[in-house]
Amino acid sequence: MEINRLVLLAWLAAVFVFLFLPIVVIIIYSFNGGRNLYVWTEWSTHWYGAIFDNPRATSALAVSLQTAFFNAVIAVALGVPAGITLARRQGRWTGPYIALIFVILGIPELVSAIGQMIWMDRIGLFDGITRLSIGHSLFNIAVVALIVRARAEGLGEQLEQAAGDLGAPPWRAFKDITLPLMFPAVFAGLLLSFTFSFDDVIISLFVQRPGTSTFPIYILSSMKAGLKGDVAALAVLMLLASFVGVGFAATLLSRSGKGKTLGG
Amino acid sequence: MTEGAALAPPARHRARLLPRWIMAWPALAWWTFFFVIPLLWILLYSLGSKPAATEAGAVSLATLSFSNYGESLTGVFFKVFVITMRTAGLGTIIAALIGFPVAYAMALHVPARWRSMLVFLLILPYWTSFLLRTFAWRIILAPQGTLSDVLHSLGLIGGRLLILDTNAAVQLGIVYNYLPVMILPIYVALERIDKSLLRASMDLGAGPVRTFVQVTLPLAAPGLLGGLLLTFILAAGDYVVPTILGGTKGLMVGNLVATQILASQNLPLGAAMAVLLIGLLFLIVATVSALLWLARAIFRSSRGAPL
Repeated sequence: MEINRLVLLAWLAAVFVFLFLPIVVIIIYSFNGGRNLYVWTEWSTHWYGAIFDNPRATSALAVSLQTAFFNAVIAVALGVPAGITLARRQGRWTGPYIALIFVILGIPELVSAIGQMIWMDRIGLFDGITRLSIGHSLFNIAVVALIVRARAEGLGEQLEQAAGDLGAPPWRAFKDITLPLMFPAVFAGLLLSFTFSFDDVIISLFVQRPGTSTFPIYILSSMKAGLKGDVAALAVLMLLASFVGVGFAATLLSRSGKGKTLGG
Repeated sequence: MTEGAALAPPARHRARLLPRWIMAWPALAWWTFFFVIPLLWILLYSLGSKPAATEAGAVSLATLSFSNYGESLTGVFFKVFVITMRTAGLGTIIAALIGFPVAYAMALHVPARWRSMLVFLLILPYWTSFLLRTFAWRIILAPQGTLSDVLHSLGLIGGRLLILDTNAAVQLGIVYNYLPVMILPIYVALERIDKSLLRASMDLGAGPVRTFVQVTLPLAAPGLLGGLLLTFILAAGDYVVPTILGGTKGLMVGNLVATQILASQNLPLGAAMAVLLIGLLFLIVATVSALLWLARAIFRSSRGAPL
């Protein structure tokens, strides 16, 4: 039994090394001083100083940040009420509604992307960032709705009912009780929507307009010409930023987890 | 809500005239307008034809026919469909073989306080760019790279490592990218198992193998099934991995569709391929689910013990 256990744990460790190998490679190669990211020449922090020197990369980054922001706003604005309602107002509508959510999450992104491209062209929606934000939001609304639903189910509705009994009108109970209780889920959903949008390739590839390429699309198109170290350096900085973000979100979620007994 | 109605004091503020689920409407309207309607348009476009040079627009809907579907299933296009299903299927199986022991070790052999840390580490790669992680494999697998040197000096390969820009590299990239998607649902299912069931099975005389096959595996089945389906669907529709690692020899359906629509300006043919892709996925998923359901029904009736 002890040997089995050791073999399993060694396997576990090996797989985690496998999962992190490419990330380690990117971190090492971001310190590659050569002109081509791919061919190792010498250690240098040169590219970290040159991150914002490439105007095409920075404008793509700006497009990605704006898109991720608007997409996350849409995802939270529509996903949070949907998630709360799914948990609290179950009925015959719940089954088909959740089925639609799973279709949205499960359908190959490619198919959804083509449909959106066709439809946005037809209805004459040609603003690049609007197209990208809407395109990314469809998936993320579903993600936010599911996260919020899980939290709302865990909490029960007694506190809102108590507020109602004490004379609070529904909107006030929602604003003062429901929203603060939902905050960890809302925040996690916001963070996830932002990340998914920031990393998206396929939807962006189809719905983008000339001049509004996102950062991943910029990387993809410059791969053919040969990537330079600035892209890797930027990726490492983004990884650090997401470490901080995830750490923050995790602390927040675990802190509110302790307060869970409050809702019963 | 139903019990609340009986207990509710009359002072309770609640708008009775509004449907109870009105707050879920905005999302539904958004999805209908930007998701459901576009899907219907793909269906319609897949029946159209490439517009003549003199015509305006991306598609000609003057005469509708199934000829795009015929074209998608002949010659080189058909071959790519077969390769895609094989790559996704094989990738799913390999990911399950690698991932199941990992999920098992995480759920049953790692101290509880380490588990959330491992789950965190498992999803951490998703916080770095998918593109760059895939691109990193180009550096690792390069014929002149370190891995190639090591394998060569160990005598494991004769010449240089030449899997880049072939289907083998795509296969590796797919397993790599979707491994966490396979591990997480299995882990969640295994973690929920009441450990006393496993001890009971051992106490009643079943060996470790029998306990695994008859207790652990059936209880982990829903998670395993979820992981298999999710991985397969994501892998079959992938575009990034074959684009970066596959070159011209490692094409998948995603590349074909993108080429038809973005480069060849043949939107109707691309649309038909996309419809075929989801049709095929739906068929495979439905068949697998039906077979599993049947297998479970037979298993139950022969054992007589409901799980």
